Amino acid sequence: MILPLLILSPLILLAALGAVWNARPVHAALMLALALALTAGLYLCIGADFIGLVQFMVYVGAVAVLIVFSLLITRPGDEAEELARRPGSLVTGLACVLPVAAVLMYAVSHTTDLPYGTAASPPLPLQKLGESLFTDYAPAVLAVGVLLTAVMVGAALFARDPDKKPTTPPES
Amino acid sequence: MSLLAMSSAEPSLWSPEWLPRLPQRLVEMLLRNCHAPDWLVSLAGYAVAAGTVVAVFLSAFALLSLIERKTLARIQNRLGPNRAGWFGILQPVADGIKMLTKEDIVPAKAEWFLHLMAPILIVVPSMLALGVIPYGREWVPVSLDLGLLFFFAVGTLTEVAVFMAGWASGSKFPMLGAMRAISQMVSYELPLILSALGVIMVTGSLSLPDIVNKQGDFHLGFIPAWNVFTPWGLTATLIFFIASIAEANRCPFDLPEGESEIVAGHMTEYSGFKYALFFMGEYLGLFAISGLFITLFLGGWQAPLPGLTIVPSWLWFFAKLAVVIFTHLWIRGTFPRVRMDQLMRFAWLCLIPMALLTIPAAGIWVFTGGGLKGWLIIMPLLLVPWLILTTVFNRRLASQTRNYTFADS
Amino acid sequence: MTPLALLLTVSSLLFVCGLLAVLTRRNAILVLVGIELMLNAANINFIAFWRYGPADPDMTGPMFVLFSIAIAAAEAAVGLAIVLLNFRHTRSTDLNRLNSLHG
Repeated sequence: MILPLLILSPLILLAALGAVWNARPVHAALMLALALALTAGLYLCIGADFIGLVQFMVYVGAVAVLIVFSLLITRPGDEAEELARRPGSLVTGLACVLPVAAVLMYAVSHTTDLPYGTAASPPLPLQKLGESLFTDYAPAVLAVGVLLTAVMVGAALFARDPDKKPTTPPES
Repeated sequence: MSLLAMSSAEPSLWSPEWLPRLPQRLVEMLLRNCHAPDWLVSLAGYAVAAGTVVAVFLSAFALLSLIERKTLARIQNRLGPNRAGWFGILQPVADGIKMLTKEDIVPAKAEWFLHLMAPILIVVPSMLALGVIPYGREWVPVSLDLGLLFFFAVGTLTEVAVFMAGWASGSKFPMLGAMRAISQMVSYELPLILSALGVIMVTGSLSLPDIVNKQGDFHLGFIPAWNVFTPWGLTATLIFFIASIAEANRCPFDLPEGESEIVAGHMTEYSGFKYALFFMGEYLGLFAISGLFITLFLGGWQAPLPGLTIVPSWLWFFAKLAVVIFTHLWIRGTFPRVRMDQLMRFAWLCLIPMALLTIPAAGIWVFTGGGLKGWLIIMPLLLVPWLILTTVFNRRLASQTRNYTFADS
Repeated sequence: MTPLALLLTVSSLLFVCGLLAVLTRRNAILVLVGIELMLNAANINFIAFWRYGPADPDMTGPMFVLFSIAIAAAEAAVGLAIVLLNFRHTRSTDLNRLNSLHG
């Protein structure tokens, strides 16, 4: 059962590296979409079907599309990114990131010391998920609903052009 | 549906009801007689099922391209293609030969890899989506517990593919078309999914065969229990149908490929086989979303009257599909294209509130037990907001007088 | 290598990639790309522990991931709205030019 994971994991990391390293912004955004899609595939292989499909729908279908759409609007030039390939920023970045990586790898290498119980049996039981979502986690769902409404209203408010006075459309 | 179980309680393999499963069962029987291992038998079964679906829908695509042109032509008081054979029946063949033999031109400023991947990524979601729709009694190519969610998830892949097509072409018309297409698809995805939520609530399952099976009763002996015959279902049907026209980029929502404005939108710089793939992806997507529409609201493969169940279930499905596709063509030939801001306004200010209202309406329907009482209670809940949305809010728009300036004044 | 260790390694490296993107990229939108990668890494962690870790009948892992996905989408929307608002003002998405509060 580890074979799909062994195939998907390096692909996810390669796509993520592409998203981080690629000098051209749209390519980086599309590599992000690829990494997210492969992660969704990973979830499907593990047995968290619902989460995998939700990941695909929300991350690849909405977040990645949002990111590429905003790149379409702002049209960043590649030269801005080429300048950022200065060794100085790279060395600083790596210097900050490598200790974090070392700490994480140390923690991961000690994870197998955890006492195992019986692992969950895939696939994710959908009925039970729905029931607990609306009984145990109902306050969280309501809070997320309020949050998403606030985000939608806020983003719509941001998107208005403050210089244009609010007009009615020219003709209906 | 278990592909490997061939119980003796099943009707004969050759009866018309089980005709769609015939190729698959034949291949499985053949392989089992050759003592093939189990995994090979099931793999071959899946491959043949997928092949059957693809073959049927590709020939339907070819037929539809002709039928669309003839129908639009008749609506527009002309004849349509009638040269390529008797009544133009060989026109799809001629089109296919033309598309396959055209030179494949990739602009110099285009990103060739993304330019190549985009048509492929447009066809793949449509084909994947066709695999979860139940076409007949217990005939689903892949029976997923999360079939509906899978359908919507692969539908969102189309948006990324359209963006890739538009951006990778490296010129202005495709970019403009891609921006319009993405904003349109994202806006109309919400009413699409929200209107399906009422169905999921009432059925209690995301599995498409379950949704169809639940619509199998007949009220009062002759009214089928399809979701379209419930008040929330009727609203959801209309919303889903309009949103599906927008998702498939068909007229009146075909701004992204507005032929009179931006040449062909995101498909401008494509020629030859890649254009044929775009065309195919668009029509297969239309089949998929119409199939979903029929599954969710029109009872799938269920017959409309109790006595008509002798007709095979897959025939009912394809008959309903033909009616729905004809309605799409009819609407294309009848309505003008809407403007971008009208499109957005319609989605966000009319369809989404109405779609949101179908959810409590569905809940109230289940609570009151359905029937005439349910209709009487729910109709005001749905009609009053709709009237408010369409009349009160639009009075501001409708009251502006148009000022016409003529050339001679 | 157990599946759990593999998945945790993947999520750690993914997190590190996201962190590198946030620290070294100059374009504000690509910084958001890095943030999405980090959130994804945390999600993989949760799912890995749900599947291969101690038994959890409450399905805390997938629940958390569901909410995390929703909140990540909301945060991406708001972040991009802010970036676009700033772009409208300064015609640039360069983070180095976002160095004054007064436009």
